[in-house]
Amino acid sequence: MFLTRSEYDRGVNTFSPEGRLFQVEYAIEAIKLGSTTVGIRTPEGVVLAVEKRVQSPLLESSSIEKIMEIDSHLGCAMSGLTADARTMIDHARVTAQNHAFTYDEKIKVESATQAVCDLALRFGESVHDEDAMMSRPFGVALLIAGVDELGPQLYHTDPSGTFMRYDAKAIGSGSEAAQSELQDKWHKQMTLAEAQKLTLRVLKQVMEEKLDQHNVQLAQVTPQQGFEILDEVKLKEIIEVM
Amino acid sequence: MSIMEYNGGSVIAMVGKDCVAIASDLRLGNQALSISSNFQKIFPVTDRIYLGLPGLATDVTTLRERFRYRVNMYTIKEEREIEPETFAHLVSSTLYEHRFGQYFIEPVIAGLSKTPSGGVKPFIAATDIIGCLNFAKDFVVAGTASSKLFGVAEGLWEPDLEPEDLFETISQSLLNAVDRDAFSGWGAIVHVITKDKVTTRTLKGRMD
Amino acid sequence: MASLAHPQQRQFNPYSENGGTILAIAGADFSVIAGDTRQSEGYSIQTRYAPKVFRLTDRAVLAVNGFAADGNMFVKKVKQRLEWYRHAHAKDMPLRAIARLIQTMLYARRFFPYYVYNILGGIEEDGTGAVYSFDPVGSYEREACRAAGAASSLVQPFLDNQIYFKNQRPAPGTSHPVHLPLPTVLSIVIDSFTSATERHIEVGDGLEIYVVLAKGRNLQGLEGIRGMQELTVTEDGERVFVVRRELKKD
Repeated sequence: MFLTRSEYDRGVNTFSPEGRLFQVEYAIEAIKLGSTTVGIRTPEGVVLAVEKRVQSPLLESSSIEKIMEIDSHLGCAMSGLTADARTMIDHARVTAQNHAFTYDEKIKVESATQAVCDLALRFGESVHDEDAMMSRPFGVALLIAGVDELGPQLYHTDPSGTFMRYDAKAIGSGSEAAQSELQDKWHKQMTLAEAQKLTLRVLKQVMEEKLDQHNVQLAQVTPQQGFEILDEVKLKEIIEVM
Repeated sequence: MSIMEYNGGSVIAMVGKDCVAIASDLRLGNQALSISSNFQKIFPVTDRIYLGLPGLATDVTTLRERFRYRVNMYTIKEEREIEPETFAHLVSSTLYEHRFGQYFIEPVIAGLSKTPSGGVKPFIAATDIIGCLNFAKDFVVAGTASSKLFGVAEGLWEPDLEPEDLFETISQSLLNAVDRDAFSGWGAIVHVITKDKVTTRTLKGRMD
Repeated sequence: MASLAHPQQRQFNPYSENGGTILAIAGADFSVIAGDTRQSEGYSIQTRYAPKVFRLTDRAVLAVNGFAADGNMFVKKVKQRLEWYRHAHAKDMPLRAIARLIQTMLYARRFFPYYVYNILGGIEEDGTGAVYSFDPVGSYEREACRAAGAASSLVQPFLDNQIYFKNQRPAPGTSHPVHLPLPTVLSIVIDSFTSATERHIEVGDGLEIYVVLAKGRNLQGLEGIRGMQELTVTEDGERVFVVRRELKKD
């Protein structure tokens, strides 16, 4: 693909004659450079796990934040340009709070996902004489996990603004291997504990470093507890029985 | 601010089968501040006539004395007890004398009048502050909770209630109406007048 | 030209008051929402049939009373928001969400309010009957019963007595029911409106009583009611009925 560079590489809102938006496609490529992120849905809840690449022994691994809360019933894991995710999660948080304010109920997982995706294609040139608010597509993909009246759900969003619901999904640099492993191991009646172990096993396979409680992060959303990021103590316990 | 709301208070009277009932709240207020929970607004006129005087408290006292004087004069001159109908007209004319400088009172009259056959006939009436008479066949209301009293009484009252049922009906009407009125309440008093006795009961009510 | 020397003031009053009364009572698994149909301005009757009660969804009915123009516009806007919500979230808005939405819509006009009192009745997500009442700027509360409008001061204390059993003590060893059966509620509603019609000039002409039944509830208490008509087409959800009656026209 990179060999077929053309005029249409540059404009973020110009289709190529083949009907492609290169900048969006490149943005999707950028995800594949990101750290591996895995999500699994079970009837008991959704599990999210990310690899934290600790590039230097001087880096405080606890300062790497790749799983974030959107609302008490919604969580989100990211891969790619994580800085871009801040804008999206900020928007999702505002949308979720606005929904609760206006309707006195929790926003549905799909609605929150839709709200995030509405942002994705807001790049490009300005309208009239207003300033363009974004110059390029987001370079990040999200796994949005949540529980609502339809039960636990997992959604994947990419820079094109497309979103899809998954039973299990991997994104980032090790996603291909991870995804096929998930396809092998996922089953309908998986328990939450099984899902926790599976996410870590999948991450372990694709990580270069040895997996421990410092270089992965695990979160879950359950109907009972809502969204929670597991602390290193709990994480260590799971790794030990993995 | 309405002058009727200066001290607050409400009265209701109802007709039953060979009986009448009249009831009031016991509050005396100074606008929003409650002063007393034992302020009398209903007064006996004869053994068979009771008069309720909701409105401005100073006029309650004044009119009570005026009517005592005028009824006594009537009794002495006529050498007989005043009939409820007659007393109602006395109230009316007394109030109309002050057409252009009114007493701020809406009187309610309840009594039993004598029939030619020697029986009794229930009588109730009410007037506005200048004495316009209203002879109702069912019930009359007055005071700061009047609109509420109208609503409840219209829903609860039925013809030919026996004394005990009439007592229950008038009590429930009054209590529930004054509970929705900030200027009335703080307990209630009910008089049920029958041919041979008057039953007076003091009711507990919400103190807020 | 002496008149020009004096300052002059003109004013347009954007509000008027169109009378009428509305009322709602919640049961265990049903809700009744009613309103009269007279619309007046001062001592004149504008029409004898102007509905004040509206079906919003299969489980929500809204009664609006006060300034009729504001009321009709408000209902229109609520219906519009319900449709947008259906498109955005692929479901009907639940009752408590409608209640909150109405609050935000009313409060959005805090400084030029819709001159209306709203009462929302229907079935909650848990299948219980519910009534929400609002003031014109959005203060709201879930209750078992509420009257609003011209004759609210006549009807509310009657409801306190008959629905909440206020000032009544249960017979020894018994207790007051928390929810009344449907036939009792319908009788109380009809009595309330005949009483209000009797004593208030702005109430009368016609009566519309909406009944919302929870999912799976039988018709117990509605069969044989004169002037009843079903408004729902779906079989397996909540059901909405309307009972139309005459009230005195004098």
